[in-house]
Amino acid sequence: MRYILLVLLNLPVILLAITNLVTRYKLGRMSKQRFRIQISLWLIVLTVMIGSFPVFNVLSGRPTFDSGELSMFDIVQTTAIILLFYVANNQRQKIEWSERTLRDLHQELSIKLSEVNIEKTSKH
Amino acid sequence: MTKESKKRVALIVPAYNEARVIADVVRDLDVVFSKSRYDYAIIIVDDGSRDATASEAKTAGAVVIKHILNSGAGSATATGLSYAQQQGFDIATTSDGDGQHYAEDVLKGVNILVKKEADLLIGSRLINSKGMSRVKIIGNKGLSFITSVLFGIQVTDSQSGLRIFSRKALESLRWKTSGYEFCSEMLWRANQIGLKIDEYPIKVIYSEYSKAKGQNNWNGINIVKSLIKRRVAEMFE
Repeated sequence: MRYILLVLLNLPVILLAITNLVTRYKLGRMSKQRFRIQISLWLIVLTVMIGSFPVFNVLSGRPTFDSGELSMFDIVQTTAIILLFYVANNQRQKIEWSERTLRDLHQELSIKLSEVNIEKTSKH
Repeated sequence: MTKESKKRVALIVPAYNEARVIADVVRDLDVVFSKSRYDYAIIIVDDGSRDATASEAKTAGAVVIKHILNSGAGSATATGLSYAQQQGFDIATTSDGDGQHYAEDVLKGVNILVKKEADLLIGSRLINSKGMSRVKIIGNKGLSFITSVLFGIQVTDSQSGLRIFSRKALESLRWKTSGYEFCSEMLWRANQIGLKIDEYPIKVIYSEYSKAKGQNNWNGINIVKSLIKRRVAEMFE
């Protein structure tokens, strides 16, 4: 039962992250290399989240989906880690985009303002 | 006049708080290039200086692009090159605003670039490092070694500010870092997009002023940290 709760809490976040990635890639907002690496990361998270507990059970000789060893603390901790990873990853992308936009804006603005000053000087 | 002699060269000098020497830098470039076969413009990118760098450069006859905010040598260089690209220059050069480069070496670089048909030419202080302090030699060699390990680029002086760019490089070369680490990143990007990179020996003027303004080895550690960060971030891009 606790294992199902773990999956139910985390699967939507992982699927949301993967959907966002696919959408961004298909809309041309992400390079193929970046898409590959990001999708691999989320697939690893998905595999670890779904697979680690059943593997642990099998190795300890328990029924595959027996939730006996899984505490509520484990569920809260795993969910928090995955959520934080999702938020941190999203924020990093937003910061990078803002940084790039700000740098380009600053650069263009400096050039345009200088051109205006050069024109003014040459008119005098 | 040959077709080559009509080439337009942008002499870009990123500068931050260089009011004391910038006029001399502009005049030196002007004297040397006025005798050359190139059409040229001296472009000072004032990276948000708090002193009179912009007005001194303007009085000396340079075109001045003034950054509203201080955003680092990499950013100032990018602004200068972007301006050169927009204005249709065939070749662009960058040299330091503290007067450590000889204007003759800048002209020599332009001639070599034209002759060798290279895309990015680096003026190396370490091919002949006479007059350079041992600490600086070790620091620069160390950074060149790290550049080679991280990015697979073999150059003798990865941190040199004297660089010559072809039109192709002006159009295609972009980098992401804005501090001094851009020197290594630029080489990496140039290599990634298949630009022809070459080096030539230059001499450097080590005045008390340029020594005081120059990078020390502690800043080198910051550069290495940023380069590693950039290299790792690239794996996720």
